[in-house]
Amino acid sequence: MRLLAVLLLCPLLALAEPATVIRATELKKEPASDAATLAELPENAALEALERRGGWTRVKSASGEGWVRMLALRFGGPGAAKAGDSGVAQLFSAARTGSSGTQVTTGVRGLDEAMLANAQPNKAELEKMSQFAATPEAAAGFAAQGQLAAHPVDEVK
Amino acid sequence: MRRLLAALTLIAALPAAQAQFRLPNLDVNRMIESAKNVGKATREIGEPEEIAIGRDLAATLLGAAPLVNDPAMQRYVNNVGRWLAAQTERPGLPWRFGVLDAPQINAFAVPGGTVFITRGLLEKMKSEAELAGVLGHEITHVVKKHHLKAIQKGAMTALAGEALQMAVQNRNAAANEKLVSFGKEMYARGLDKDDEFEADRGGVVIAARAGYDAYGLPAVLQTLQAMNPQDSGLALMFKTHPAPAARLDALGAKMQPTLDAWSSQPALAERFRAQLKR
Repeated sequence: MRLLAVLLLCPLLALAEPATVIRATELKKEPASDAATLAELPENAALEALERRGGWTRVKSASGEGWVRMLALRFGGPGAAKAGDSGVAQLFSAARTGSSGTQVTTGVRGLDEAMLANAQPNKAELEKMSQFAATPEAAAGFAAQGQLAAHPVDEVK
Repeated sequence: MRRLLAALTLIAALPAAQAQFRLPNLDVNRMIESAKNVGKATREIGEPEEIAIGRDLAATLLGAAPLVNDPAMQRYVNNVGRWLAAQTERPGLPWRFGVLDAPQINAFAVPGGTVFITRGLLEKMKSEAELAGVLGHEITHVVKKHHLKAIQKGAMTALAGEALQMAVQNRNAAANEKLVSFGKEMYARGLDKDDEFEADRGGVVIAARAGYDAYGLPAVLQTLQAMNPQDSGLALMFKTHPAPAARLDALGAKMQPTLDAWSSQPALAERFRAQLKR
């Protein structure tokens, strides 16, 4: 039981993702470009990504722990894609057996291509969605609660 | 050559168009003229028509997957989305946001101000700034009328200009059905890659304007990059969008100054987790 509590308190371990350096970059002591440089990480260096703060990712590398520019990383390990599946197809192919069974090709419940093609308008659900709409005033109050301040930012073409 | 082809297509389509829409005083020259000029016709679909088309398409997407039965979650996503939409050039649209009860990872924009995100994608996110980046991407599709223009371009070939105008303005059942069926195809086929890259840049800008950590959208793209590309839950999204690596490269190339200028704004990870009860 105590072990379980300890495990639940270690979310960072669960979040560790294999990542690869896609262009040579500096391992920094803090998430800032003027922070001390701990090491130079070469292209293709493999590491573990732990957490993100703004444009910086905390990583565990062969040269120790530190922060690197988030966009200098590619997730998913060196070259190869991560194995495994979210299980969506397996989960729902089971639910499908026993039905008429004519659409067994790519059938997954929800928003896949086949479901989209066969979808019939659901007006009741559209009505329901309107009930949840936010007024501009309510949304502004919600933003203020989160300390979100609006300001101009130029569009980039 | 192109003009000839357009003319031939139209002539071939005429009997069908006539039968279905009973065009009065059919003027072949005018139809060719309007089919030639998609850009001009784009300006002719007014906002009320855009909203009406959007309602039909939104109802259709809801026919593929209903809303998640969680009013608090739906209201939360509407608050985030409405606040973002207020920072755009089209704040007055009837903005609606919905979380679809589907395990696949995807999001959809519908003309006229409706935006959907799937439960599958929401569950992959770690903060409100990430949600803001994704909703900002979809809001950009609406603001820039990407889908509306695609519908118009595609429907133009299928229906011919005058018939499209009738479909939009008169909303007769047969024409409506054609529009919806074209819409389904469009969501299965996806938009132009350039529209997607533009929506990525727009998503970053809108999130930054609204006061969020601007790195939310790149963070979601990295999460998708870490997943197995063969994952069945990603199939439709990967078919209809450029690969996450290409999208991240494009953002890095053009958006680095914007991203860095607004990277220390709130990400609101705790509020996000509290809302999703995890």
